[in-house]
Amino acid sequence: MEGQVLEGSQPVDLSKHPSGIIPTLQNIVSTVNLDCKLDLKAIALQARNAEYNPKRFAAVIMRIRDPKTTALIFASGKMVCTGAKSEQQSKLAARKYARIIQKLGFPAKFKDFKIQNIVGSCDVKFPIRLEGLAYSHGAFSSYEPELFPGLIYRMKQPKIVLLIFVSGKIVLTGAKVRDETYAAFENIYPVLTEFRKSNNGERCT
Amino acid sequence: MATFELYRRSTIGMCLTETLDEMVSNGTLSPEIAIQVLVQFDKSMTEALENQVKSKVSVKGHLHTYRFCDNVWTFILQDAVFKNEECQETVGRVKIVACDSKLLTQ
Repeated sequence: MEGQVLEGSQPVDLSKHPSGIIPTLQNIVSTVNLDCKLDLKAIALQARNAEYNPKRFAAVIMRIRDPKTTALIFASGKMVCTGAKSEQQSKLAARKYARIIQKLGFPAKFKDFKIQNIVGSCDVKFPIRLEGLAYSHGAFSSYEPELFPGLIYRMKQPKIVLLIFVSGKIVLTGAKVRDETYAAFENIYPVLTEFRKSNNGERCT
Repeated sequence: MATFELYRRSTIGMCLTETLDEMVSNGTLSPEIAIQVLVQFDKSMTEALENQVKSKVSVKGHLHTYRFCDNVWTFILQDAVFKNEECQETVGRVKIVACDSKLLTQ
């Protein structure tokens, strides 16, 4: 798939990814304004793969198979597109939804398309001492294992939230452009190696 | 209690409607009674399916299209396999229309 780096399929650009690890993009959320009022019931009745339950949620939920995404379509003409794996795929999907709305007879435009959030994930493949990390990075960290097993790290620059798990699996969210995700991961990687759990488990807390 | 008129389009429902039409047109039955019979048919079908039918059928296929609007689910399946205890059959294209009977009692 486009924009997705498969492990081992191509060499990693070490100047951009000194850790040698490139976070995989998992979800892109984008918005666009179709710039016309929409009759949601008419859309739900005519379009395929649509759900409309106004008692529960004031939008039509529509899905397409390629790119595999879900759209929330509001009566105001605003639309949210979720689930794409890259920025281009998110835009392509949003265009396809706009086209469906047009085909149903609405004068839909494609105004102010914007990527609102990018979620990425990766695996550093070593266990991490979350308690130690939380202690030394107290200003950014929130670690409440009784509430959630991951450490929530609110990075300031770039402004990205990271979920760090004991297993070494990392989730990065809050980016508007993928370079913020990459930069956040390169920032945190040395910290993760510092709090790497030793194999015999003696530094285990 | 109100019931859906969903089963009037089934083979048995169509046959009943045809017979009633015939009886109304040759004067053996008043239209009011005919309507009453249909309403009773709706009730009886719902009740029979609820209480007397024990067998279960599973349906599995490729979901080509789905829709939820006005509390009605519509599914179009391709190459659906219908299975019960005794046999199974593959059907190329199936349309399933489903209503929530709980909505009637509310």
